[in-house]
Amino acid sequence: MQIIGPDLLIFGVDDVPACHEFLTAYGLETTDYTPEKGGTFLALDGTGLVIRARNDPSLPPALKTGSTLRLQVLGVVDEDALNAVEAELSRDRQVLRLADGSLRTQDDQGFELAFRVTTRKPLDLPGEKVNAPYAPARAANALGVTQDMPAKPRTLSHLVLFVPDIEGAVGFYRDRLGFRITDTLTGAGPFLRPQANADHHTHFFIRTPPYMQGIEHLAFHLGGPTELMLAGSRMMEQGYESFWGPGRHKFGSNWFWYFKSPLACNVEFDADMDTHDDDWAPREAPMGPEASQAFLLQWRAKWAPGGGPGGPGGPKD
Amino acid sequence: MSEVTDSGFLCRLDDLAEGEARGFDVPGLRAKVIVVRRGGGVHGWRDLCPHYAGGTPMAWKRDAYLNGARTHLACHAHGAWFEIETGVCVQGPCLGKRLTRVPLRLDDKGGIHLERPPKGREI
Repeated sequence: MQIIGPDLLIFGVDDVPACHEFLTAYGLETTDYTPEKGGTFLALDGTGLVIRARNDPSLPPALKTGSTLRLQVLGVVDEDALNAVEAELSRDRQVLRLADGSLRTQDDQGFELAFRVTTRKPLDLPGEKVNAPYAPARAANALGVTQDMPAKPRTLSHLVLFVPDIEGAVGFYRDRLGFRITDTLTGAGPFLRPQANADHHTHFFIRTPPYMQGIEHLAFHLGGPTELMLAGSRMMEQGYESFWGPGRHKFGSNWFWYFKSPLACNVEFDADMDTHDDDWAPREAPMGPEASQAFLLQWRAKWAPGGGPGGPGGPKD
Repeated sequence: MSEVTDSGFLCRLDDLAEGEARGFDVPGLRAKVIVVRRGGGVHGWRDLCPHYAGGTPMAWKRDAYLNGARTHLACHAHGAWFEIETGVCVQGPCLGKRLTRVPLRLDDKGGIHLERPPKGREI
């Protein structure tokens, strides 16, 4: 099954202008936006989010829990891949072929799904380069950081769902759609990677009671840890509120920084995730603070040590 | 940033519009105190969503504690809604749990105070 991962996530929210403000600060590009109808918020490669009002009649029905996530649009590599998804899922559920060529159906938990030939545009942007002793990665005179350097979300990375039936969720994505399990946090759930994407995960499931079913967070990839630190610091300086991070996860090795949002889920900056192939042997660790991160830091306002007592940066500043 | 003095003074009633919420850093407390004015009443709550043990702060931006319709306090990590008057979670991951109330005192000049300003330092 040649699935790449989420192209678009579609939300029905409570406060459209607040989402516009938040997602603009987060660094997504707004198109077709009005405060009444909402709009589309895109990363550099054209993946992104669609924000509509909760009661917008164009949205698929909401889960009973009221989760704001209304539809995942998963990109596949080509028309053959789309046909393969249609053939597989049509065995036991209704799969609609829409006028735009995309497929619409539901997973076994009732999450609404669409599939389409991906519209993401590959980027020709360098990743972050790190100079190590005897192993410089940047050319002479190339700077590692500037205060105003871009730190934009490059592509939609992954989403995490609260699901009441982990076995059912894994069964659907692994056995029906061909996702690989890369690692598992015991007590929470598995990380999943679709076959046409080397990223450690595009989906992660957390076991919860039924009344919690819905989206837990979503994340976009940035170009590296420096971009992530800059993007998050810019959010903090504007009064947005961190939920968790910055830090670096163990499973996936991705740098993370989560922010609370008016989408009613956390929205994460992510950078430098591991990639895998089918030779990878999945790991398992108990869910908890130790397994969740290699380290965890907390942001503070800029500060510098100064000259002597009473001078700039001294105790009184 | 709103700062609180030893007397537990938070702000004046006039500084808080009907239907508005604000968060206050209180020396000695590890999380803010949320003050909400609604329907003629003023309510104080700890800025600690009961979803996770120990609680986590709830706003998505400084002082952004309310849902879009401004009918409920909301935790913007996972979308929990709490009744402003009772603190009870009516939707979301901590359904049935409640926020921790912070007793407030109104003085005769319209000042809003903590009824019991913290003496020590909360861990």
